[in-house]
Parts: sequence; structure tokens; C-alpha cells
Amino acid sequence: MHCIADGSLAVRRWTRVLRTEVSDRPQAQGVRHVETRLSINLDRVAKIANAGALLALAGSGLLGYFVSFYFHFLTVFLLLLNALNFYWRHIQTTHTLLSNFGFMAQLRYVIESLGPEFRQYLYSSDNEERPFSRNERTEVYRKAKGIDSSAAFGTQLDLESGHQILLRHSFFPASTDELESFRVSFGEERELPTMHTIDRPVMISGMSFGALGSHAVRALARGAKKSGIPMNTGEGGYPKYHLMEGADLIFQIGTAKFGVRHEDGRLDEPKLAELAAKDQIVMVEIKLSQGAKPGKGGLLPKEKLSEEIAELRGVPMGQDVVSPPRHLECVDEATTVAFIRRVQEVAGLPVGIKFCLGRDVELRGLVREMKRQGIFPDFMTVDGAEGGTGAAPRSFMDGLGLPLLEALAQVQAVLQEDNARDRLKLVASGKLIDARRQLVAMSMGADACYTARGFMLALGCIQALQCNQNTCPVGITTHNRRLQHGLDIEAKSMRVANYVAGLCHNHRELLAATGKTSASQLDRGNLFLPGMHRGAAP
Amino acid sequence: MSHRYVQLALRLVVAAILLPVGYSKLAGTPMDIMLFERLGMEPKGRIIIGLLEIIAALLMLSPQAASGALIAVGIMFGAIIAHSTVLGVDVGDGGRHVAMLALVLVSSAVVLFVRRHDLPIIGKTLGRSGKPEP
Repeated sequence: MHCIADGSLAVRRWTRVLRTEVSDRPQAQGVRHVETRLSINLDRVAKIANAGALLALAGSGLLGYFVSFYFHFLTVFLLLLNALNFYWRHIQTTHTLLSNFGFMAQLRYVIESLGPEFRQYLYSSDNEERPFSRNERTEVYRKAKGIDSSAAFGTQLDLESGHQILLRHSFFPASTDELESFRVSFGEERELPTMHTIDRPVMISGMSFGALGSHAVRALARGAKKSGIPMNTGEGGYPKYHLMEGADLIFQIGTAKFGVRHEDGRLDEPKLAELAAKDQIVMVEIKLSQGAKPGKGGLLPKEKLSEEIAELRGVPMGQDVVSPPRHLECVDEATTVAFIRRVQEVAGLPVGIKFCLGRDVELRGLVREMKRQGIFPDFMTVDGAEGGTGAAPRSFMDGLGLPLLEALAQVQAVLQEDNARDRLKLVASGKLIDARRQLVAMSMGADACYTARGFMLALGCIQALQCNQNTCPVGITTHNRRLQHGLDIEAKSMRVANYVAGLCHNHRELLAATGKTSASQLDRGNLFLPGMHRGAAP
Repeated sequence: MSHRYVQLALRLVVAAILLPVGYSKLAGTPMDIMLFERLGMEPKGRIIIGLLEIIAALLMLSPQAASGALIAVGIMFGAIIAHSTVLGVDVGDGGRHVAMLALVLVSSAVVLFVRRHDLPIIGKTLGRSGKPEP
């Protein structure tokens, strides 16, 4: 109701004291609480402003006629203002505030549009912003720039609340020299000749050319090559830019199957075989669902659809690219497992599935079917609901799917129940941008970690939250040539490599502190979980 | 599609008129100097208006044609005031000035209306824009 600036300006007569009875406060139920605040009397201010604009127009017209023609500059401006004001107040019906108060209400739109920047630069504390607080982002920036990341005076997190997930250290920490080197082999369960071994616990998660611009894709791919980690291509069709830098790639098959799509929307086997035959493609990931929008297919807003992307994906220009919610081939457990087998046979590479967990009963059904058919994917990527996306409906981001740690616990439990845990590898993804989070996920059962936004931050992401608008100010999620100009591929690829090195360093230090000598020895006993504060470790 | 070409034609018309008109004001032809002397704005007013006309013409040819149209409409309003209060319709050219003025006013008003959503800040409050409100 009083929208311009509640209670901050005290202008005599133009302000009034509001007495609001507040009785719905949770901590004061039943207690009548009267809140007093000063508020601008917008109604009166607006009336005076609207009448004033008309009077000023008449005044400046007279001054222009009798004193100096220069006054007519003002006359013209006021003429336009009054015309607009008339339109806002008496013709348009879309904006209530403009209709009721006229041009003064524009202030609200202007101030509101500045809100996100003000909050981010001035008013949000270091631990407040979501998805990543300033402290978390700074930590990645420092790693990416290779700067010492020590801090002073103690933690800024509210550890006493018991709501933080923490790692438990040991009385007898290991020395980092004693640690075994990290090694996870995808496809070893099937004894594949094309088995792929990683020696770092982190991989670049799926980001397509489309979601990212070409500079960002190439900087990431070059950084991945430098640090020797694989990079997921995302579901963006033929990975033209990913392939340019010689990095190992995990080809992702989205529900629309861009890049390996037959005209009818089903898998085009020759296309997949051709891609899989490339040396750079080391694994294939079938995306069943994504944490940020489970139950919904990928989405590329039309603002970001360039001619080149449309061609790489084989879609028409001018409309949003919406992938179907599931693979046409996968209608139930049996057909899904059959599809996995088909991809494994055609690709001849380690093949995994990526999903966000909904119901554990369904996962149990799927795992039993895998057992029945004797076909297991070589890895499962569990994506938490907190995972990132270039574009998704807010209701999907906020309201669907299990968060990563809960999902990991359930997936691990289901796999162990059916003695299937040793048939595949588990990869975790969803906000795993630092070593602490990654070790927590690994303690919950993950063999390796994916992060996408961690790498975007390493590229210089400032969390402007415009990934869906093609206006990314740091040139990562945009195809605008001018905005991509500042993203220097070579310089940023060094940041990516530094970030990986920093993560691995932290990994080893934290792992040593837990007293374990290999990440595979981590288990839930290494975790302090919320609600455990009176109990001992399980 | 034809609608787009009409709009483009109008933008070109406005730019084609305002560029030479603005240039001649800056250059100071005897006719312009005479008119602005009668308005009591010689030479500052002549130079300001000349510059504004050139800016409007250039904007008309850029993606920000809406802003150019707004400035052009503003200048034409000023010109109407000048002709109706001081100069009269025939300023010794048989009304050519006023005819030109009417042409620029109508053309730029149409462009302004069609592209009103491109105006900075206020654009999004000017009626339906084809895009759903976020």
C-alpha cells in the first residue's frame, strides 16, 4: 500500500503514522502487538505531484511566451510528462500503482529494479546470500587465483545451532605423505577395455554449449585438459566447442537426445557410435532427470538460441527449446534398463545414468530390474535438488526432489540392500563447490564429485543470476559477443586449473585430518549430522 | 512483415529530414539565423536544437529508435509552440517548414508508439508488450 519508502522520509503532513496490529507473529501468538512506523502518505504526495505537473506546464508555457522562449524546453518536457501521466492514470489498466498515483509510482519500479544490486553489494552479510554466500564464492575465487585462503578470528558460521554438517577429525590424523593417491575406475566392474580412470575426485558437471557461451566452454575444456579431469558436455548436441581443447569428455544424452537424435526423437545408434568412437569421449551419461528441475526436460530460453545452437541441436529458431520430460524409450523399469544396455552396447564405453531422487521405492524397483536383467550402469550420478541450472521454473527449483545428502543416503541404502553397491560407481552433484562439501558427499557414499557452478565461479561468475537471459555480465552464460569479449580463454583456463589444484590440496588436507589415508575409507562415521548433537557417531 | 518495412521507412524519413535540417542549423544558414533571432534564441538555442535533431536522427537509425522518436516528437512539439506563438505558419517559404514539421511529427509519433516498449525505464509500463509480464 505504501510502497515508495516505508517510514524513511519524514516530510511534514506528507507523512503519517501507521499503527498496525500484528497478531500473526509466530513467537507472539495471541498477544496483540502494535507496530508503529512512519510512512510516506503517498496518496497526498501523488495528488500534489500530479496537480503540480499540470500547473508547472501552464507556468512554463506562460514564461516561455512572456519571458524567454528557452522556457519552452521545460514546456515540452512537461507536456510529454503530463501526456504519459494521463495515459498511466486513465487509460492503462495493467499497473495498479501507476493508475492510482501517476508518475510518482514510477519511483517504485526504479528503486525495485536496483534492489538485487543493492542487496548484493551493500546489505547482504557475508554468509547470507543464496545459492552461494559471499564467503563461499570468495573461497572459490581465491583458489582460482591461487591466493592464500587463510582467514582470521574464527568461523562465521553458526556452529552452535547444530544445523551444520561437519566432518569429524581423528585424534590421530594422518600425514599427507601417507595418503594413497586418488583413483577411481569407471567401467572396471564390467572389465571394459575402455575403462576410464580418474585420479582427481572432481569432474566438471554437465553444461552445454547453449547454456554457456563458446568462450566459457572452451576455457573450461582447456582448464580440464590442463588439470587432467574429465568434463561433461551437457545435453547440447554435438559438442563442437568442448572437443576443441582436447579434454576428456563425458557425453551427456539428454531427454531430447541432441546430437544423437533420430528424427522420431529416439536414439540414433550410428550417430552415438560415431561420437563414442572419438578418443576424447571417454564416458557416456544418460540424463534421466536433473536436480533443479526433476520431472521436466532441459530448457533453453529463446533469448539464448543462436543460429549455431539451433543447427547443432537441430531445432527451429525463435522459440524456447524444451526437452521432453523423459526419454521416449524409458516408460518403466524394464525399458529403462534395456535402454541403458543398448547405449552400453552401442557406445562401448562406461555408461552412467544421472538422476535426482524422488521416491526410493522406484529406485529399488529399478535396481531390482537391473539385477534381474544383469545389467548395471557403470555409474550413477545423484543430483541433489539444490543443483544448478541455466533455466528452470522456480516452482521446480524450489519444490521438487530430494537434497543431495538425503538422496545419497537413500541410494546407498537401496544399493547395499540389493548387494549392488559394488556393481557401479556413485557420483554426487549439487552445490559441491568446495572440498568440505565434497568430502561430506564422499562420506555419504559417493566415489567422486561433479560440480558445475564451482567451475563457473572459477571462470569469474559473480552470481548475477541472469543465466536465462543471455545478459551474463561476465560473459559465461551468454552468446553476446561483446559480453564474451572479457572472458579470455587462456587466462580463465588457468583459473580452472588453479581451482582444481586448490580443491585437491584441500581434499588431501581434510582427508588426512580425518585420520583416513584414502577417500574410499570415508563413511558416515566421519560426519556430524544435524540432530546428532547429543549422540555419538554411528 | 510489411509492418516492419513501414516502420523502417518512417525511421528513414525522419532521419533523412532531421539530419540535413540539424546540420543546416549548426552551420547557421541565414533562414535559420533569422528564425532563431525572432525567437530570441540566437545562437545558443539554434545550436542546441541542431544537436538534438542530429542525435534524434542518429538514434532513429539505431536499435534505440524509440528514444530517437521521443526526442524528435519533443522537438516537434517545441516547433509547434514556436510556429503558433511567434513565427506563424508562413515564414517566407510558403509553409514548407510547417509541412515538414507535420511529416516528422506524425512519422516519429508512429515509430514511438510502435516501439514504445524499447524506451528505457518507462517502456515496460506502456501497455501490452507481447511478452508476458514476469
